[in-house]
Amino acid sequence: MSSVELGQIVVNALLLSGILALVALGFSLVWGIMNIVNLAHGPFIMLGAYVTFWLYELWGVDPFLSIPISMLTLFALGFAIQRVLINQIIRAPLLVTFLLTFGLEILIVNLVNYFFKADMRSVTTPYSGTGFNLGGVRVPYIRLAALGLALVLVYALSWFLGNTRAGNAIRATGMDIEAAQLTGVKVGTIYALTFAIGAALAGAAGSLLSMVASFDPTLGGGYTQRAFVICVLGGLGNVLNVLIGAAIFAFVEVFVGSRIPQLSQAVTFALLVLLLVLRPQGIAGRAFYV
Amino acid sequence: MWRRLPTLRLLTLISTIGLLLAGCGTGGPAGSSGAGANGDTIVFGAAISITGKTAKEGEYTRDGYLFFKDKINELGGIKVGGKTYKVDVKFYDDESKSERTAQLYEKLINEDKVNLLLGPYGSGPTGTAAPIAEKYKLPMVEANGAAESIFSKGYKYTFAVLSPAKNYLRGVIDLVKQKDPAIKTVAILGENEPFSKEVADGAAEYAKEKGLDVVYQDLYPTGTQDVSALLTNLKGKNPDLLLGSGHLQDSLLIVKQAKDLGISPKAMGFSVGPSSPEFRANLKSDADYIFGATQWTNALKYNGDDPWKTPQAYNDEFKAKHPDYTVVPYQVAESTAALIAYQRAIEKAGSLEPQAVRDALAGLDIMTFYGQIKFDARGINIYKPMAVEQLQPDGKKYTVFPTDVAEKDALYPMTAWDKR
Repeated sequence: MSSVELGQIVVNALLLSGILALVALGFSLVWGIMNIVNLAHGPFIMLGAYVTFWLYELWGVDPFLSIPISMLTLFALGFAIQRVLINQIIRAPLLVTFLLTFGLEILIVNLVNYFFKADMRSVTTPYSGTGFNLGGVRVPYIRLAALGLALVLVYALSWFLGNTRAGNAIRATGMDIEAAQLTGVKVGTIYALTFAIGAALAGAAGSLLSMVASFDPTLGGGYTQRAFVICVLGGLGNVLNVLIGAAIFAFVEVFVGSRIPQLSQAVTFALLVLLLVLRPQGIAGRAFYV
Repeated sequence: MWRRLPTLRLLTLISTIGLLLAGCGTGGPAGSSGAGANGDTIVFGAAISITGKTAKEGEYTRDGYLFFKDKINELGGIKVGGKTYKVDVKFYDDESKSERTAQLYEKLINEDKVNLLLGPYGSGPTGTAAPIAEKYKLPMVEANGAAESIFSKGYKYTFAVLSPAKNYLRGVIDLVKQKDPAIKTVAILGENEPFSKEVADGAAEYAKEKGLDVVYQDLYPTGTQDVSALLTNLKGKNPDLLLGSGHLQDSLLIVKQAKDLGISPKAMGFSVGPSSPEFRANLKSDADYIFGATQWTNALKYNGDDPWKTPQAYNDEFKAKHPDYTVVPYQVAESTAALIAYQRAIEKAGSLEPQAVRDALAGLDIMTFYGQIKFDARGINIYKPMAVEQLQPDGKKYTVFPTDVAEKDALYPMTAWDKR
């Protein structure tokens, strides 16, 4: 393998890890704080992709500019879903949350399939595919921007959790719900806020994905799986662990993909199994969210 | 907690029942157009992918079957001996999952008691349906499963009206060689599933026959969201021709990522994808110059013994009935062709008895708007040639091969990405 090829592979992996980090971020937040494995996370991503797609198709809104809109839309949707549905089962056994979010996933995917049909969609702008050359290695602009945005959102969330009243309340609720209530935290609102933020981040991920890949209503399933693996790889203790998890996942997938493409997915999931056996808290994880 | 929260118990119970019903519902009948399985109606049964990965192509298949059904019923029906029978098509959604396909065919045969079988979409599902047809000794005419592996098991009851997988990319290779006799290298990317693998292998074999050097050939997993690793590998080899053998989603991905990585071969061709309107709709001007293999286009000059006779007439009538289709994809045409084959076979046999129909199909040799339909000893239609289309910068798609029936000249080479 030439150094240019190696360089390209490294760049590809790096850029991919940005998108994957964003995919896993919302999932990690909801899991870490609320102990809910949200199987409807994938559909939220898919909805974000559709928001960006329709805004571009119908009104020519630049996909990057549509990201705040898709985030807001998903925030509202996530808030509503949490208050109306998830809240009912907040103290229920894990199996019940699986069941509910699983059902939600089927419902959302089928509704979207009904209204928007199963057509493949993607957002192709005049600047799609453009990039610059770094000594023979090609860096596409859109993927680079996606990485930048992902990093911004990860750090913004981390800052929010550590430095604002609401963020501190979220962390407190995740650590010990009764103690948080004793200090005056309105747990119901906090849970809704957390879920909504998770959905908004999924929306942003979806918007980015609509630009780099083509999608249909079934886009979500594979990404829920990836989010799950990334959270396990990085560990749930800290928002920034998502970056570690995403980086490991992306590098393994891209490197294996360049040697034995047929096995790239198998290897990443084999890694998951190995990690669960050897170090279930993830590479950098701890028992609870801090 | 269960005892203290009766509402929670009730909610869980209701939601579980609701989910179970929903689960049953998605596997349930996706459509059937009326009447029962016997009486004065010939019922054809099929499991088609109305949702899932190949949902779009599944819809084309369904629409092709139903278009024949409506037309033939308008014309009176199919003549069997002295009696005319109406036609019905009963189908279920296999969600693009081969495991479901087999189950649903068993259901169609045992519960719905269909008379004859039509194929699903895709070689994978067709491969799981063929043994079922064989087991129950019911003929199955399929129009969307081109993998020769389906026909290498000695099945006697499955017939394919479409050209086999190995031939798919031959037209592109022939065309490019015609345009540029000095062309040297080719790279082939394939999806890791039966049909696409055969197309890729067939293309590699044919390319070598024609004196080309296959500098890179590899497979990517089904449903992959990223082929940048393979593209990076092949970029270094600088292929003149890049061939992709997968489905619509993968072809879109390969083009997008090839552009991302600045890969500009002299020509790009895909086995599936470019003939669908979604290809242009998704890629906009990035789709220019790309070749697509196709089983059929409306520009070909066939004259057949069927309700439509010429490709153009079929095209016009279908579009009149389905205004939402801007173009008639070949999957629609070949699905209709499957039923034309059945009609002629049933008329020839003078009976609906499965064995008689099967034998009539085996000896069939007809010309239709879709092309010649004749099956070899294995059941494959090797007698119809593949065509090639190209998307050109004026926004339209033209049939460019075979050159004697081409609408327009092919544009070659492809203008590099950064020069557009």
